[in-house]
This record gives sequence, structure tokens and C-alpha cells, in this order.
Amino acid sequence: MNSPAASFEASDVQSQEDASNAALDWRPLFLACSVFAGYYLGAKLGFALTFHPHPVSVLWPPNSILLAALLLTPRRAWWIPLLAALPAHLLVQLQSNVPPEMIFCWFVSNCCEALIGAGCIRYFIPRPVRLDRLGNVAIFCLFGATLGPFLSSFLDAGFVVLNHWGTGSYWEIWRIRFSSNTLAALTITPCIVTAATDGIAFWKNISRRQWLEGGCLLLGLVVISFVLFNEITSEADSALLYMPLPFLLWAAVRFGSRGATAAILIVTLMAIWGLAHGNGPFSENSAETNALYAQLFLIFMAVPLLFLAALIEERNKVEGTLRERDERIGLAAETANFALWTIDFERGEGWVSDKGRDLFGFGPNEPLSRAAFLGRVHPDDRDAVNDAIEQARTGSLAFEIGYRLLRQDGDVCWLISRGRYLRNDHGEISELIGVAIDITGQVKANLELRLQREEMARLSRVAVMGEMSAALAHEINQPLAGIVSNASAGQRFIDRGNVDLQELRELLADISADGRRAGNVVSGIRNMVKKGEAARQRLDLNQVVKNVVQMVNPDALLHSCELQTSLAADLPAVEADLIQVQQVLLNLILNAFDAMRETPIAQRKVEITTSRNGEDTVITSVRDHGIGFPEEANDRLFEQFFTTKPEGLGMGLAIVRSILESHAGTIAAENAEGGGARFHFTLPIQPTV
Amino acid sequence: MIPSNSLVFIVDDDPSIRKGLGRLLRAAGYVHEAFNSAIEFLGRAVHPGPSCLIVDVRMPGLDGMGLQETLIRRRRDEELVFITGHGDIPTCAQAMKAGAVDFLPKPFPPDELLDCVERALSRSANKRKHAAEKQKTRDLFDLLTPREFEVMQLVVTGLLNKQVAGELGTAEKTVKVHRGRVMQKLGVRSVPDLVRLVEKAAITPAARYETKV
Repeated sequence: MNSPAASFEASDVQSQEDASNAALDWRPLFLACSVFAGYYLGAKLGFALTFHPHPVSVLWPPNSILLAALLLTPRRAWWIPLLAALPAHLLVQLQSNVPPEMIFCWFVSNCCEALIGAGCIRYFIPRPVRLDRLGNVAIFCLFGATLGPFLSSFLDAGFVVLNHWGTGSYWEIWRIRFSSNTLAALTITPCIVTAATDGIAFWKNISRRQWLEGGCLLLGLVVISFVLFNEITSEADSALLYMPLPFLLWAAVRFGSRGATAAILIVTLMAIWGLAHGNGPFSENSAETNALYAQLFLIFMAVPLLFLAALIEERNKVEGTLRERDERIGLAAETANFALWTIDFERGEGWVSDKGRDLFGFGPNEPLSRAAFLGRVHPDDRDAVNDAIEQARTGSLAFEIGYRLLRQDGDVCWLISRGRYLRNDHGEISELIGVAIDITGQVKANLELRLQREEMARLSRVAVMGEMSAALAHEINQPLAGIVSNASAGQRFIDRGNVDLQELRELLADISADGRRAGNVVSGIRNMVKKGEAARQRLDLNQVVKNVVQMVNPDALLHSCELQTSLAADLPAVEADLIQVQQVLLNLILNAFDAMRETPIAQRKVEITTSRNGEDTVITSVRDHGIGFPEEANDRLFEQFFTTKPEGLGMGLAIVRSILESHAGTIAAENAEGGGARFHFTLPIQPTV
Repeated sequence: MIPSNSLVFIVDDDPSIRKGLGRLLRAAGYVHEAFNSAIEFLGRAVHPGPSCLIVDVRMPGLDGMGLQETLIRRRRDEELVFITGHGDIPTCAQAMKAGAVDFLPKPFPPDELLDCVERALSRSANKRKHAAEKQKTRDLFDLLTPREFEVMQLVVTGLLNKQVAGELGTAEKTVKVHRGRVMQKLGVRSVPDLVRLVEKAAITPAARYETKV
């Protein structure tokens, strides 16, 4: 926990814990109070809707409110709502003059119902419980709205009969209790659970339009319900019972779970209110029957609507995810210089992203097709691209090909396209999707890099020529002196009148030979320093070594060093650039000369050997008798800017290594026994054609 | 005017130079011999006549400067002309200080080279002449008896006969006789002539007989 970042995170967590601790501090209190209030008020309402003589009401909210509370709180805090409900329960029951045993029994059965429902639901659905998926709704209906009331009704009816509270048989009480608790569970609990999840944040995000729409919906719903459950007499068509349906659908589609559950609750309340006053379509039979019909009607409306609401929520989420994904892909594609495209063969449609349109130069209404695409590909690459696509279509399904694009303004872009054919359910090709990546920047950068490297190597050769300049000048001056002397002698012979033609012939031949000799030196220099493409050819390394030895001889003389070669017979040929291999050898040999500056003249020897190295390579070594190099510098010898010479730049060996690497060769160095250093490099053998 | 019996030696490891120079010298009327290396040249017997060496500075084995040094050590008489494919001033200065005739960079103007050869040969010839004369004169002094030699040494210091007699502890007359014989043997008529002869023979005045140089 020493770094600042770590301590930042630690304190961050710390403050979050503090906040949640603080939250927990007021939340239980809030929870307890709301449960208390809800239970109390709900009980009051329930009593108001009780049919005498049966001690069961049409709608008993408290259990549902308790269920909602249990669904919303963590299991370890379940004791809070249960405990908060007790005083409310007591208060309400005492106010209605219910005997104490009944109070107690009813509290037990109420809690059981809530616990059974909540326990089972929470087993399957972790917090937060949302009714926004079909599975969740199914679980809720099964356990919360069916199993809980079902089982607790046994308990409840049993208690009533045991205590002889009220009249009516066991099964009657059981049935009434079951249906009213189920109705409450289906209409009240979902509304509370849905409204409480997401809390205040949701209400802040509602737009004015939504408020307006919600208001209209509410108004319509209330009015219709009022009309249906108060003004319509029971002789009216039962078709009119469907009147609330459009508004319920409106609520579900436009407001999802929240809207649907609230709408159902409103309709339920309106219906029961009407029922209590003896109005509406459910008022022509006995009170219990009316209640039952009303409850059934409401239950059969509520359940499908809950499922519908869940479906709507799912659909919205999927849409949201899709949109987000599209945006992400779009952003990624823009940033990474991708062009995306699809062609749907079944529908005959094609789509290309904006970047793709720009890149390929497609007009806004131009139809996409392979021909249109190929028309823009560089003529030299068209066949290869077409073949790749065909191969994918008839076999592998996927292709990846690099090619050039020739745009209308004459620009050339380098692209890589990857495409995949998709099959439909019948196994036929249905769609082609693909990505085109613009790699022009990279290609150009690589080209640039390669040119720079070649220029560096060339400048290094120029420097080597510079180092050898004294020796090279000597090499040119020798034949020149010969030419001048011969020419002057010839003139004198002629002046003397003493012309021996044979002698003159020999003299002129010598002049020619000397001229050629000088010319060779000059062209040798030119070849080393001119710009040009690297040209690989079949080389006999022994011959190259001999040439280089000849080239460097004057320099050897200057340094009073002796050059010895030991060249293997039957050396296989290698494929390499002649000038670059010469550069490597020159570099190593000149370094050897430098290393032997302090060595006594008699021991100044540079030994060059060539030999075959195993199956694949030829190894050449240059060994000197100089001062060698310190062991710890061995790794760094071939680094750029590493030098042991006081005026050295340190690029020679680095360039040598890069030349060898570009030929798939290697180079290494070690101190040789008896003093001095040995550098050896390998080149791969060119297999005979 | 080419001194008689003169010989020009070419010492260079490059065949073009040897051939070209050789022809040039021949065309100018010189006799020459060419050698591939300094060691090869040193193996040849000394030439009894005016000789000039045209030497390349840079050669494998013993190079031009080393050859010059060797010749000086062996007290040889050859005159040296250096030619070089790449001249540097320290080498040039060193060569000239050690007595070379000239130091020419390749490619050299042929006329200049021939000029150097001429100078070198005439220097060589003069040197030989002086050396020969010196030797001849020295031989003359060998004709003197030890006594005569002593008298001669004192006479050239400017002493009168009387003083010479006093130095040697003999009579004046004896000195006069000895003096006469010295003059006659050496073939001179006056003391100044005698002095010049002594100088030519490089004999130090009043030096002991044993230390005749």
C-alpha cells in the first residue's frame, strides 16, 4: 500500500464502505417505518374490503407488502420487515377487536406466506429482483403468487377453524383466502418491487413528454375503470370487460414493467371499490361469488400483462445493447481505419460504412457488387483478388487478401480485405461480411524505413572508402605514373628518331593495361558508393574474398599488415548482394588493421578463412592478432553507436549485422586464443536450382 | 651530360612502375637495373661508378625509408630519389634531412624525374671524384717518413723553421732538409699549397701520427 495509486484505491473503497455503512444506518429505519406504515394501511384497506361473515377480504395487501419488502432486502436483514410488521399487525387487529390467539395465528400465517414466496423466489433470482425477464416473471407467479398463498392458506384456514373465528367451512375459507392473497400478490407486490428498484434516479430521468403521456394514460385508465366498474350494469355485454385492455397494453408497451404493474394495480383498486359498492359487472350474484369472479377477472388480466411487460423490457434491452454495439463498432472502425461492408445475397442488398464509401469511392446510390469492387482494384492485383474470393465462395468460406486500390484521382492505397461468407439455415450462402483495412501508411513507412536503411549502409560504405582513401589513391597513382613514364619515353624514342616498333607496341600495350587498372579502381569505388537497389545474386564466397583482399592490399601495406587466406575447396554458392558482402568483409578487415596498431609488425597478420558449416550455411571468419575486446563488451559489439575507437562512430558493425540479418545470416565475435579477435559470419547456402 | 659508367637503380614492387620508368630512362640514354624489393637490391654488389637509386617509399618488407637508413649505416654512396603513391610531409622531411636528392609524388612529371636523376648522378660522380682525390692525396702523405710527417704538421701551423726545430729538439738545418724533402715528395712549392693539400687529405695539423684521419 505504498504507491500513491494503490492508496488512492484503498481510500476510495474505504469511502464507499463508509457510505454504505451510513446508508445501512438509515435504511433499516426507513425500511422498518415503511413496512410498518404499509402493513398498517394495507390491513386497514383489507378490513374495509372484508365480506362478513367470512373473515377474509377481497384483497389483503399486508402480505403482499411484506413479500415485496422481503424481496427487496438482503436475507440477513429479513428480520427487520418481519419485526416491523408485528406492531402494525397488532395495532390493526386490536383495533378491530380480534381475539389475541387469532392475532398471533394470523401473524404467523401471513409471515409464512411472505417467507415461502420470498424464500423460493430469492433462491432463483438474486438481488436486485426485477420482473424484466420472462423467466423472472414465471418464477414470481409460480412461487410468490401461487405457492406462497396456496400453502399458507392451509395454515390460515386451519387457524380460523381451530379458533372458531367466524363461520364457514375449512375449504371455503381456504379458497377465499387463496384467491385474495394471490390477487394481492399479483397486483401489489410487482408494483412495489418495480417502483422501488432503481429508486429515485428513475424519476429524475423522465422527460416532460413522458410525464404528459403518463398523465393521459392515467386519466384514461381511471375514467374507463370508473365507467366499467361503476356505470356498467351486469346486463351489459361481457365484451365491455375488455375496455381497460388497450390502456393496459399502452402502459406495458410505453412504460414497461413499471407502467404495467401500476396500471394493473389501479384497475384492481377501481374494480374492488366498485364491487364494494355493489356496482359493476360482478354484482349479480352472492357476495362471495362476485368477489371470486372479480378476482378471477383481475388475475387473468394481470398475469399475461406481467409477461408482456417482461417481454417489452427484454426487447428494449436488446435494442439498447444492439445500438450500443453498433456505435462501438462504428467508433472502433473509424479509429482503426477500417471499412466495414456486408452484402446480403437473399435480399440483394449491400451496405458499406461511410469510411468504406470514401475509401472505395462508391457513390451514395451505387449498388455494391463484386464487379464494382474489382473495378476499383489495381489492374495488376485484380486476378489474385478475384481468385481469393472465388476460393472462399466455393470452399473455405473465408478469405484474406492484400491488394492495391487505384482511386479515381490516381492515388494508390494498399489495403487488406478479410471477408467471410455466411450460410443460412439451409446451408446456402446467404451473406458476405467483410472488413477492409487501409495499410497505406504502414506500407509507406516500411518503404521509407527500407530506403533509409539502404542509405545508411551506403553511407557506411562511403565512410569505408574514405578510410581507404590513402590506399586507393596509391592504387590509382601507380598505374598513372606508369602511363606518364611510358608516354614520355615513347615521345623521346620518336624524337631521337630511334623507333623500335616492337618496343613501341609493347609500350602502348602497357599504357592500355595501366589505364584499365586505374579505371578498375575507380569503378570499384563507384560501385561501393553509388545508390542503387540491392541485387541478390549467386556468389562464390571464395572469389569475393579474393577480390576484397586485392582491393584492400594497399591499405594492408599502409598498416604493415599481412593478409592470409585459407579458403575451403568446393564451397557451395550463396545468394547475396555482392556489394554488401564486400562491405561486410572490408569492414571486418579494416577493423582488424585498426586493432593491430600496437602489435609488433612481424605479428600483424589477418587470417581469413571460409568453410562449410553443417548442412545449410557457409561460415567466413576474420581473425586478427590485435588487442581483442573486453569480455563484457561482447553483447554490445554490434550495437549502434558502440565503439572502442576514440574517433569511431560505432555504426560499422551495426550495419554489418543488419546486412547479414537481411540475408538470413548471423554474425558473432570472440577473443581468439593467442590474442586478437575472431569475427565469424554465416550466410545460407543457395540450394541449387 | 651523363657521367660515364653511371647506373640508375629502380627499386619498386609495382611492375608498371618498373617497366615505365625503365623505358623512360632508356629513352633518355641511361643504363638501369630494376629490383622488386629493397632486400633484392642490397644483395647486389656495389656498383663502382656514379649511381642513383629511384626508390618507392611504400614496399612490403623493407620500405624506402628503411633502405635509406641501411645505406647510411653501411656508408654507401648511392644518391636517392624517392617516389611515392601518397606523400606525407613528415616522411618527405625525414627523407630530405637524411640526404635524399628529392621526393616526388606519383604520378611524377617525367622531365622532373630525369632532372632529379641527372642531379643525383652528377652528385654521385662529384662525390666519387672527391673521395678518389682525397684518397690519392692521402696516399701521397704515406710517402713521408714519420719525422718528415712531424715536421710537416708543425710547418702548416705557421711556425718558422727555428721554432719547429725548437719544438722537435733538432737543429734548424735538419728541419730545413726535412721540409725540402716534404715539399718535393708532396709536389708543392709553397706553404699555402701545402696547407691546401693537408686540408684536402683531411689531416689535422699537429696531430699525432697514429691519429691520422
